[in-house]
Amino acid sequence: MAYIVGVPLLVLLAVIQATVLSNVRLLDGAPDLILLAVVAWALTGHARQAMAGALFGGLLIDLLSGLPLGATAIIMITVVYLVSLTAGRFWEANLLMPLTTVLWSSLLFHGLSLAVLLALGRPLELSFALGRVVLPSTFLNLILALPATQAASSLAETFYPPEVQI
Amino acid sequence: MSRSSSQALFALILIMIAAGFLVLNMGGFLSPVESLVLRPIGGAQSWLAVRYYAVRDLLASPADVATLRGQVRELQSENAQLQQEIIGLQEQVAQAEVLSALVQYARSQPDSRYLAASVISRDVSPFLRSVWIGAGSDDGVAKGMPVVTDRGLVGRVVEVFASVSRVQLITDPSSVVNVRLQTSRADGALQPQLNGEIWVGMISQDAEVSPGEIVLTSGLGGNYPPDIPVGTLTSVRRRDYELFQQAVLQPSVDFQQLELVLVITNFQPLPFNQSIGP
Repeated sequence: MAYIVGVPLLVLLAVIQATVLSNVRLLDGAPDLILLAVVAWALTGHARQAMAGALFGGLLIDLLSGLPLGATAIIMITVVYLVSLTAGRFWEANLLMPLTTVLWSSLLFHGLSLAVLLALGRPLELSFALGRVVLPSTFLNLILALPATQAASSLAETFYPPEVQI
Repeated sequence: MSRSSSQALFALILIMIAAGFLVLNMGGFLSPVESLVLRPIGGAQSWLAVRYYAVRDLLASPADVATLRGQVRELQSENAQLQQEIIGLQEQVAQAEVLSALVQYARSQPDSRYLAASVISRDVSPFLRSVWIGAGSDDGVAKGMPVVTDRGLVGRVVEVFASVSRVQLITDPSSVVNVRLQTSRADGALQPQLNGEIWVGMISQDAEVSPGEIVLTSGLGGNYPPDIPVGTLTSVRRRDYELFQQAVLQPSVDFQQLELVLVITNFQPLPFNQSIGP
C-alpha cells in the first residue's frame, strides 16, 4: 500500500519541485521535497521503504536535472540509510530530533552532491555554493521538516495502524 | 542476520542498482527509457507550468490589473464561472503578446528557421543553470541547437528526449559563447560566474571598449550563429599588466521570466567535443 501511494506522491513532489519551487527560491536554494519525504518516512521506522523511495526519488531528480542518472539516487540512499540508523532510537523522544536529522541529512545530501559535481568537472566555488545554495536550501528544509515528519507519521499510522493487545 | 546488517545489505543492493543505472546512462543505453518516462512527466510539468505562470502573473501584475482583479471579484459574486474565463483569457493575451514578439523576431531573421517551445521547468539541481522546454526530438529539436527569444540569446540544447529537451543557459558557468562587441568589433568570450554575473573576457587590450556597447554572438567556434544579441556591457575593467580586458555584461534576456523560447532548427553546430573555445 505504501508503495502504491509513495510512487505517485514522489512523482508529484518531483514535478512540483521542478516546476514551481525552482522558480521560488531563497537566494539560489530551494526546499528538497523528495529528500524531506524519504527522510521523514525513514524516521517513521520503515527504513527499507524509505531507501526504495530514495532510489526512485533520486532517479526522478536525476531525470529532471543535468546530473547523470543514478548519481542523486546513490547519494539519497546513503543519506536515508544513515538516517535509518537513528530512527526509532532518539527522535520519538524529542521533538527537536526530526529537525536535527533534517539539518544534517540536508547538509550531507548537498555536500555529496557538490562532491559529485566536482568529480564531474563542474566549475564550482565552495563558499558560493555553501552561502547561496546549501544553507538556504537547508534552512527551507528545516522549515518544512516538522510538517513533513508529521505527515509521514500520520501516513504511517494510516498504513500500519499500531497493534493493540486485548 | 541482525536487522541493522540486513538494512545495510538492502542499502548496498539499492546503491548497486543505482550504480547500474549510472553506468548504463553513461553508455547512452537509457535514452529511450528516459524519453518514455519523461513524456508523461513533461506533460504534467507543462500543465502545472501554465497554471503556475498564470497565478504568478496575477500576483505580480501591476496596479491596473489589480484593479481588474477587484472588478473580477465583484463579478465573481454574480458569476464565478466568469472569473475563470477572465483569468484564462488574460493568460492567453500574455502568451499571445510573447508569441507576437517571437514571430516578429523570427520575421526579422528570415535565414533561420524557428520552433517555438514553452519553458516547462528549471533544473532541479540548484547548482546547474538550465531549463527544460516542452519540445524534443519528435518536434525536430537536436542537441546543440541555439535557443533564443525576441530579446536575444538564451542558450543551447544540451539534452534531447522525445518530448522535452534541456537547454543550458548562457549563465551556466560551463557554457561557452564566443561574442563580438558591436561598436569596437572586438572579439571576446562569455565567462559566466557562479554568482550569476556574466563577464566578457578575452577582449584584446588594443580594443576601445566602453560601457553600453552591445554584445552579439560572433559565430566563432561553431556553437552559435553570428549576430544574435547577448546583452549590453555595463562596466569595463582594463589593467595594463593583464593580457586581456574584462567587462561585465547585462544579458538582454531576463532568465527569471522565461516562458516561451525559439529553437533555431536549421543551425548545424559543431559536435560538442569538437567545439572550439576562444
